Amino acid sequence: MSKNKLTYTSAITELEAIVQDIESGEIDVDVLTAKVKRASELIRFCKDSLRNTQKKVEKTLVDIEPESKSEEE
Amino acid sequence: MMKQLQEEQYPGIPVFTLSELNTAIKATLELAFPESVWVVAEISEIRCNSKGHGYLELVEREEEETIAQIRANIWAYTFRNLASKFEKATGETLKQGMKILLQVNVTFHEVYGLSLNIKDIDPTYSLGEMARKKREVIERLTKEGLINLNKQIPLPLVPQRIAVISSATAAGYGDFVDHIDDNPYGYKIFYTLYQSLMQGQEAEASIIAVLKQIRGHIKLYDAVVIIRGGGSQIDLSCFDTYSLAIEVAKFPLPVITGIGHERDDTVVDMVAHTKLKTPTAVAEFLILGMSSFEERLSDAQSTLVIRAKELLREEKHRLQYLMQQFRHIVKDRFNGEIKRIETASHRLIHGATQIIDGNNNKLKLDVNRLVGGLKIVFQEHKNKIKHFGQAIRLLDPINVLKRGYSITYLREKAIKDSSELQTGDIIRTKVYKGSVNSKVEAIDVEE
Repeated sequence: MSKNKLTYTSAITELEAIVQDIESGEIDVDVLTAKVKRASELIRFCKDSLRNTQKKVEKTLVDIEPESKSEEE
Repeated sequence: MMKQLQEEQYPGIPVFTLSELNTAIKATLELAFPESVWVVAEISEIRCNSKGHGYLELVEREEEETIAQIRANIWAYTFRNLASKFEKATGETLKQGMKILLQVNVTFHEVYGLSLNIKDIDPTYSLGEMARKKREVIERLTKEGLINLNKQIPLPLVPQRIAVISSATAAGYGDFVDHIDDNPYGYKIFYTLYQSLMQGQEAEASIIAVLKQIRGHIKLYDAVVIIRGGGSQIDLSCFDTYSLAIEVAKFPLPVITGIGHERDDTVVDMVAHTKLKTPTAVAEFLILGMSSFEERLSDAQSTLVIRAKELLREEKHRLQYLMQQFRHIVKDRFNGEIKRIETASHRLIHGATQIIDGNNNKLKLDVNRLVGGLKIVFQEHKNKIKHFGQAIRLLDPINVLKRGYSITYLREKAIKDSSELQTGDIIRTKVYKGSVNSKVEAIDVEE
């Protein structure tokens, strides 16, 4: 739950836990706002890190590929 | 025929002159050996005089002992024929130590005495004899495990330093040197000549001595070459001896032979690492070894290049395939994760909505109940108020006035006591509808 060093895995795990909590319907309305807020933070974080990773991977793949491709006729 | 010369001195006993005796011996021998005979003997000495006649000393030995000996001769013409026939058949010259089967006439000369005149020599016998000796040597070497000994020494891939055993003047040596020095590839082969007799009686000992000499400089050489030839094709028996064969077999370097013969291999050929027919063949063998080594190198080089390229191409394909796979996997994984987040987010919204809706409903219910409660309260109050209204309405002066009562005001003040009035006062009387102004004329005061 600590905000420092949030990783994708810990984020999505936490998110899914929150979702399960909420789906169980046993959540107090008082906490709901906080939970939903946290969940949306986590969603944003996950989406961002996924997007970043995807970009990096794409870039890396592109970096490798032209070299091997250019030598093939 | 015998004359009795000195009858008076030895009466009754015949006495001959030497010529008479020799003539008698000769006659007796001729009578005893009217035809030629075949005899087996070993040559213990042979020489040829200036006229071409051959003179031999024939012996028979038992162990080392001479048990019979006789002189023999061959007339020049016969000698030439027999010698060449013998050489052609056996590859050997007639020489000391050789066993031969010969056809002889037993002759006796009054002056020169007893000797055999050789008419014919059967080389087949000598050939058999030589073959038997050779076979014995081979059998012995085989039994002693020496036949393949030298072959087990690995010949260097590029034998470049060669000890050559040859006679310096032999044409074969010249051939060898020419081929080595003028090889078309320009290979450098270092060779050192160890001079030796390669023919005749002393060849065997001479070669053995030279081999011993080379042993002293073993580190300087990759191989030993024994070459001979270019000259006569005969006199190879020294290469069939046990004592030379064992030296070659046990030699610590590979021995290559080029003895220059066309008949069966000699024993030295058999024990050598590599046997070749001629000195030229030996030179070609060495050069071929180098050129095939070079070929192998360049083959290996091109194979290396081709194989390396192939490998690179294969690996590149593999890599590309993997990258493609990887791309798909990564994409799938991302899509999966996105779906996961989306699902979570949907469920989150749904769940939150559910909770809010549930609470809302509860709230609504509460509000309804509240409203319901309030309604009752309101109704009660309303009723109460209505009652009050009714009461109040009953109290309204208008309603009193309606019933015919009136209110009198003096200066807008309702008069409840007549004593408040004085005669002459103007009073206003309010009735249900309208009002009347009047002047007071008399006042009754009640007590």
